[in-house]
Amino acid sequence: MSVGPYNYSYIFKYIIIGDMGVGKSCLLHQFTEKKFMSDCPHTIGVEFGTRIIEVSGQKIKLQIWDTAGQERFRAVTRSYYRGAAGALMVYDITRRSTYNHLSSWLTDTRNLTNPSTVIFLIGNKCDLNAARDVTYEEAKQFADENGLMFVEASAKSGENVEEAFLETAKKIYQSIQDGRLDLNAAESGVQHKPSQPGGRNTLVNDQTASKDSCSC
Amino acid sequence: MSTSQDLPGIIQAKLSSGEAAITVHEASLMQGWVRASRILALVEHENECALFIFISSRMPPEVFTDLAIERVIPVDADFKCEIDAGEQSVDVYVNISSRKLKLLFEMIPGLKTNNFVSEIMRSMEALSKRRGPPPEFQWLHKYSGSSNRNSADCVASSLDTSDDDAFKASKTEAEKMLDILDSPDIVVPRQSIAQGATPIAARESVIRHQMSMKEDDYTFTQTLRMFIGTWNVNGLPPSSSLTPWLASDLEPPDIYAIGFQELDLSKEAFLFNDTPREEEWRKAVMAGLHPGGKYRQVALVRLVGMMLILLVEEKHVKHVRNAAFETVGTGIMGKMGNKGGVAIRVEIHNTSICFVNSHLAAHVEEYERRNQDYHDICSRLSFSKFAPVKCIKDHDQIYWLGDLNYRITEVEINTVRDLINQNYFPALIQYDQLHRQRSQNNVFEGYHEGAITFKPTYKYDPGTDDWDSSEKNRAPAWCDRVLWRGDGIEQKEYRSHPILKTSDHKPVSALFDSQVRVIDVVKYRKVHEEVMKKLDKLENEFLPQVTVDNTEIIFDIVRYLEPQSQELIIANTGQVPVQFEFIKKLDDSKCCKEWLNIDPPVSFIMPGEKCDVKLEVFVDKKSAFKLNSGVDKLYDILVLHLEGGKDIFITVTGNYERSCFGSSLEALVHVSVPVREIPIGKLVELETTKEAPGGMEPYPIPKEIWFLVDHLYRHGLKKQNLFLLPGLHSELLAIRNWLDNGSSEPLPGSLHSIAEALLLLLDSTSEPIVPFNLQSVCLGASSNYLQCKQIVVQLPEYRKNVFLYLCFFLQELLSHANENGLDAKTLATVFGGIFLRDSPRPSARANSTVDRKKANFVYHFLVNDLSDYVVSKALHLGPSS
Repeated sequence: MSVGPYNYSYIFKYIIIGDMGVGKSCLLHQFTEKKFMSDCPHTIGVEFGTRIIEVSGQKIKLQIWDTAGQERFRAVTRSYYRGAAGALMVYDITRRSTYNHLSSWLTDTRNLTNPSTVIFLIGNKCDLNAARDVTYEEAKQFADENGLMFVEASAKSGENVEEAFLETAKKIYQSIQDGRLDLNAAESGVQHKPSQPGGRNTLVNDQTASKDSCSC
Repeated sequence: MSTSQDLPGIIQAKLSSGEAAITVHEASLMQGWVRASRILALVEHENECALFIFISSRMPPEVFTDLAIERVIPVDADFKCEIDAGEQSVDVYVNISSRKLKLLFEMIPGLKTNNFVSEIMRSMEALSKRRGPPPEFQWLHKYSGSSNRNSADCVASSLDTSDDDAFKASKTEAEKMLDILDSPDIVVPRQSIAQGATPIAARESVIRHQMSMKEDDYTFTQTLRMFIGTWNVNGLPPSSSLTPWLASDLEPPDIYAIGFQELDLSKEAFLFNDTPREEEWRKAVMAGLHPGGKYRQVALVRLVGMMLILLVEEKHVKHVRNAAFETVGTGIMGKMGNKGGVAIRVEIHNTSICFVNSHLAAHVEEYERRNQDYHDICSRLSFSKFAPVKCIKDHDQIYWLGDLNYRITEVEINTVRDLINQNYFPALIQYDQLHRQRSQNNVFEGYHEGAITFKPTYKYDPGTDDWDSSEKNRAPAWCDRVLWRGDGIEQKEYRSHPILKTSDHKPVSALFDSQVRVIDVVKYRKVHEEVMKKLDKLENEFLPQVTVDNTEIIFDIVRYLEPQSQELIIANTGQVPVQFEFIKKLDDSKCCKEWLNIDPPVSFIMPGEKCDVKLEVFVDKKSAFKLNSGVDKLYDILVLHLEGGKDIFITVTGNYERSCFGSSLEALVHVSVPVREIPIGKLVELETTKEAPGGMEPYPIPKEIWFLVDHLYRHGLKKQNLFLLPGLHSELLAIRNWLDNGSSEPLPGSLHSIAEALLLLLDSTSEPIVPFNLQSVCLGASSNYLQCKQIVVQLPEYRKNVFLYLCFFLQELLSHANENGLDAKTLATVFGGIFLRDSPRPSARANSTVDRKKANFVYHFLVNDLSDYVVSKALHLGPSS
């Protein structure tokens, strides 16, 4: 009994969106490399990162597209929403304007993804509490009103970064389990890589008391 | 793959005479996380086989000099080949190992791979059935460069470690790299990727391979005391306590493996494998165990008279996994169970252990038969619940016990008894058949046996310590033995227990301190996490990476028909070859706007190399109108896509200098000053509204047309080949500037350039003089002047004006045909294409019939009298305001 050649069962496509400078690339970097990238240049284009995570015992490969936040690229980055299983929508808790633009990002996301896409709102830079410009409560209310998952996180300290990516994956996986997400739909953002159920020889204690089974 | 048919021939050419390549196959060697192409060949020489691993300087190789031998692995007792393929597997993984060397190959599933692997298996099987001395692989020494070693063991290892110059000289770059790769840490072979080795995806087999290479990092050893006992009980039931045998030591052992032979000699047991003795002896064993420990039976296996019980001290039970047992009969017809072997295998912590209890063929002279029984048990006993199946040899530790039945021969029985009485066993052992057969490598290759310091255990008169007194008067023999194989095993005791007198054999026991590898769960998780993290990191590192020198390409001033270009330098700063492509955006049909040209739009860059991409802006009639009218701007975002990786946006901007070229006739008639002099936006407004701004009386025709025609009228009526010879590009640009900027200087350029400028101006207008929607009507009417005339009269005013104005001028030109040599047909053809310009849609392709009709249409107006048309006075040629 050996497993198939893949060491993951699913591929989930994520996009990260939000205004320029809210820390999208830093969140990705913190998630894939567990490091904070200081003086991170503006993303001119779409960065790509990947990591394998585990949800309910299933290995899942995340393919993450980190989009440029600059307004002038908005029309182009819209091309990347299609087929995303998860959308991480990021604002900067120290800059209200980035929060105010959320409804426009949300509109794009709703229009350009499918209904089962999990949208996760991240208030980044929560390490800069002193400079806070958006309260947790109002963002939470915005998230609740729009049915979004929400955390405040810090790409710098790493706080809640892992959680945001993992919770999104859990929600997507749950949708698959519940049958709400059709894996066969071309734009589900999920690919299934069937690997063998049970995997290798199970590591349980299978003593073979052979008293009555030793005949040839 | 057509060349691969020659592959066996090429390999054969690489080999020496007498060596035959049985089968040849292409495979990928997994080097750390990277796969590299190799060619494998199973080579046979006088019934000895070896696996040759070749590196080829090109794939597939074309001549044998392309090949270098990387390794030669003899197919000997240590050679292992395991297949690792999942059911939905895309690739087949083949593990080849020999001693410390472990290689993982990836092969494409299919008949070729099956054939190749089965040939390897066949050669291994042939080895296991081989009789006589084991192969020496002398013929391989030339490949290892070591001629003074005569043991086959040296071949594989010497290839690993030999500093021999001959071998060193043949080392390729790839081999040197391999040396680096063999270091325990996962080395990212940057160089190998540059050499074309491709990164691999995360795969379970590779992770398992990596984990097994790092085993030392997450395991520690624990010593277990093993008690291995064997007793031929001669079909008798237990008659006394087994404690003197099983509990004769101070310390309780951790593990008991107790084997019996001739448990039951009855016909029932032989035919139906059913006997009450099993339970009787099992109970006796349980009762006789060391009182210092609590033991649980992990497995019991019996075949007729051979029984093996495995007992484990309770505190270790939870670390015992994957227990399995098998039996092999080697009796009559090669399968009856009166002779043969039974085996139990388990994994204790991270060490696999196999216990074999065998009863080999009897009779003094039958030692070869015993050898054969041993080989049969080895080749036929396999634990089939595992995939791939595990054989005896596939275990880290093997304990082989039993009545092996080897005798003491070629010496007088009295001498034997004398030597025994003197306890002079070293002399006696020389006559022991097992000792002799083992020293000739005929049996139990690779096994160890401790020195025998006890009296032969056979044959006694039952119930006594007296040697056999029956008629047969058998010579004493060490029938009952314990051997072992594997690392970390130290024998502490090897003895017999003559106090037990039930049988004609005495029981034997051996005590071992055996090291098992224990997984440190915390360290294991850490190493596993490191491997996974490394994999994630590598996967991200292996993503294509480039830098571009500029993501904002700015063209300063772009003018009509004046190409400009800038270079974009794309440097591959990653570790893998990059395929890049400028891709189109969501709703676009092309990767860039029509005024831009990208060369090359798709290309391939090796790591460390660069590619210059030329971006050229060229505004011609296709795009000029959109830029003049504000429908389009010199602004585009290009998406530079790296295959399998990220996208980079390149912004291209420029200032387009508006021009009369690419404007509409309707707009131009409303502009009284040079186009460049009206404010920015005004032209856009004019193009949008087509309304006269602020009460200015529009011109009947655009002044630019008038300037050009007037100049030709004044200076060019007698010019030969006017409108037929091209102008100079530089002069055309000067004329464009003169028209757009205004000047007090005379119109620059030669007559030919001015004539061409006129054609270009007419050709660049947003719509042709005859609107697109009337073209087909005109073509239909082209044979009938009256109909043509009808159409022209109904043209929008300014178009009609321009049309007639130009026709007046062309008639004037033709009136000088004597001097300029022009004819109406030629001019009608030239202007037909312009007046009745095709719509830019690609479907409207050039077509000679259409062209002729266009010419016919214009021709009417060049040869007929136009004086009856009502036209503005201003359209009259000649000197005017």
